[in-house]
Amino acid sequence: MPDLSTPAVEVTDLTQRFGSVVAVDDLSLTIPPGMFYGIVGPNGAGKTTTLTAVCGLREPTSGSIRIAGHDLRTDRETALAQLGVMMDGLSLPERLTATEVLRYSAGLRGLDDGWRARARDLLEILGLDAVPRTLIVEYSTGMRKKINLALAMLHRPRVLVLDEPFEAIDPVSAHSIEQVLKQYVEAGGTVVMSSHIMDFVERNCRRVALVAGGRVLVEGPVDEVTAGSTLNERFVELVGADPVRPLEWLA
Amino acid sequence: MTRALFALKLRLFRNGPHNERAFSLVTGLLLAALVVAGASPAVRGVVGESWIALALTVWGGMWLFGPLAQPRHDPSVISREWLRGYPIRPWRLARALSWTELLGVGPLITLACLLSLVVLAAPGGPVAVAIAVVAVVAQLYLLVWAGKTVAALASWLLQTRAGMTLAAVQTAVMLAVSFAGWVPFAAWLLPRLGEGEADLATPSLGRLPEPVVDVLAALPTGWGYGAVVAARDGAGPGAVVLPMAALALGALLQLGWIALTARALRRPPRRATPLRPAGPGRGLSLPFVSPQVSAVVARELATWFRDPARGVELRSAWLTPPLMAAIIALTDWSWALPLVGPAAAVFGAMVAINTYALDGTALWQLLTTPGALKADVRGRMAAWALLFGAPSVVLAAVLWAVTGSPLGGAAVCGAVAATAVGCAAAPLLAVVMPAVGTDARDRVYPGQQAGDPTGGQMTIFPVVALAAVAGSLWWAALLPAAAVLYAAPALTLRLLRRRGTGLLDAMASRDAASVR
Repeated sequence: MPDLSTPAVEVTDLTQRFGSVVAVDDLSLTIPPGMFYGIVGPNGAGKTTTLTAVCGLREPTSGSIRIAGHDLRTDRETALAQLGVMMDGLSLPERLTATEVLRYSAGLRGLDDGWRARARDLLEILGLDAVPRTLIVEYSTGMRKKINLALAMLHRPRVLVLDEPFEAIDPVSAHSIEQVLKQYVEAGGTVVMSSHIMDFVERNCRRVALVAGGRVLVEGPVDEVTAGSTLNERFVELVGADPVRPLEWLA
Repeated sequence: MTRALFALKLRLFRNGPHNERAFSLVTGLLLAALVVAGASPAVRGVVGESWIALALTVWGGMWLFGPLAQPRHDPSVISREWLRGYPIRPWRLARALSWTELLGVGPLITLACLLSLVVLAAPGGPVAVAIAVVAVVAQLYLLVWAGKTVAALASWLLQTRAGMTLAAVQTAVMLAVSFAGWVPFAAWLLPRLGEGEADLATPSLGRLPEPVVDVLAALPTGWGYGAVVAARDGAGPGAVVLPMAALALGALLQLGWIALTARALRRPPRRATPLRPAGPGRGLSLPFVSPQVSAVVARELATWFRDPARGVELRSAWLTPPLMAAIIALTDWSWALPLVGPAAAVFGAMVAINTYALDGTALWQLLTTPGALKADVRGRMAAWALLFGAPSVVLAAVLWAVTGSPLGGAAVCGAVAATAVGCAAAPLLAVVMPAVGTDARDRVYPGQQAGDPTGGQMTIFPVVALAAVAGSLWWAALLPAAAVLYAAPALTLRLLRRRGTGLLDAMASRDAASVR
């Protein structure tokens, strides 16, 4: 059972500037353990920047991040050991097969022999065992998401940070990833994910943060945030959508 | 359309990076000026004009088999990818594109070099000069299209594994000729240097042997020269036959280039079948290293053999030393053969200069895994030592044993010193000077721009070469090399910890400037 008194992820006053652009503006989040947590927001809202900082892939301009109670700045190695990371659009060791990349990751983390059984299970459940000789560079988008998830889970982390895990993948791949994540949360793990798939977030997440302009507009249990409408409607209502004038040349 | 493409190319030249182009222009014009200046004493009979024929042949060879063709990169400035989506017939587009190929540094410096033909023709009067002008245009047209056709063929071949080997062979030949091509001349000037005698043989710059000149003039690269000599010696209008032949052959090659380009425009580049493992395999377990480092070594070995960009570099680094040895073995300087061993370590370091940028955004995994950066630096070094370091020492020792050279021991010491420094410096410079190109996940076929590591290579070359020379001259120089081997990895690790996220950003955005 997770230690319920210590937040799985605690982001305090996080600010991230890129020159004169403020991508994340004094953002704070407290994510309890054993939670399926969604971060939604329009493009450029600061979701990926926040998750990148949570994973230690970007040094924040100011603010602090704690993973399972460990400060990412002062106790980086221990904090990182709690995390499984799946980032969107980044490479892997591209010239390895799925088995090889899992073996590589297990070796890199110095895992005991138990990784072999876990790797077999993950490859089987995610359907990657059918292409044992295919290199990662040849993978489709869905296969990439799956091998990234397998890598993120191989060492049984306490917290999974997933950036757009369902972006541009087919419903079958999305279904298998969803099932694995549900099992993970049921077993006490914490999932923090960003997504544009409102339906998925509404169906699976217990809490959600709606981020825009680098700030949290609203945060809380999904039912409270949606306030009787759908998450999609609430999203458009809070973020605002410009009216689209008719394009006469399309007639 | 041709006018629009010309304007586009000019704009790309104006707005694109200038460093490499400016360097090529200045160097090319200097070399061309040397050839033109050499034509003047040749006319006066101070030196044999056959040397001009030789210079023009070498220059023409550069179009076919040298940096002007650049087989590993798409030499076109206007991307085929942009044009593929336009609703224009590929043949028409390729024909319009073909004329823009005449715009560039290569044709300009070649034109400057070919002006030496006009100098050669000057004593023959206005008719000979007029024929020389025609010969210059025809020779330029032929060389440009021969080079462009070879580059297009190489680009097509690079989509296969055989093409990768071809590109590696071409690079290896260039490197071997660049680094050992001087040995036959030196052996000619100092034939007894190996016996400790530095008696200089008196060189004669008179003439090349007549049969050699005949061959040079008969080659397509010498048709312009042949026409000019004939015109000057009173052959009359008959001298234009060779320029006309050059124009006709050039036109045929241009047609061939248009066909190849139209084909490339019709279909996207196909993926080369990657080199896959035969089976699931087992993990690599190395003595004296941790499982973390073993994991990195296994990844590195697989990547060196399977990544097309690294594969070309690996093959060229392995092929260059035997080719250098072959050049040296043809001379009386067999005593110099063991020195190929340290040279092999230098080439190994040069080809391993950009591994972090080639692996691209996969760096995120190392940055988010506790202890992974240290294992990664050590693993890259160990893999380099296995692939390049140990073979270079063995090569020096074997060539020492075969030749019994008095320099054998020094060569082995030099190879050890170069290996120590190359092993430690390559990952360090890969972090300090990344040449960012297409990210690893998007490099699906060879020939895609994988970053130009020339700056890093020019930096590591003198460093490792100095270590090799110092190690060869004085065994105690092995101590500083060992110090580099000890200190550089710690510095690499420190830089990765401090600047790793910046490096990742640079590779995600393909902007190496952001890492500085």
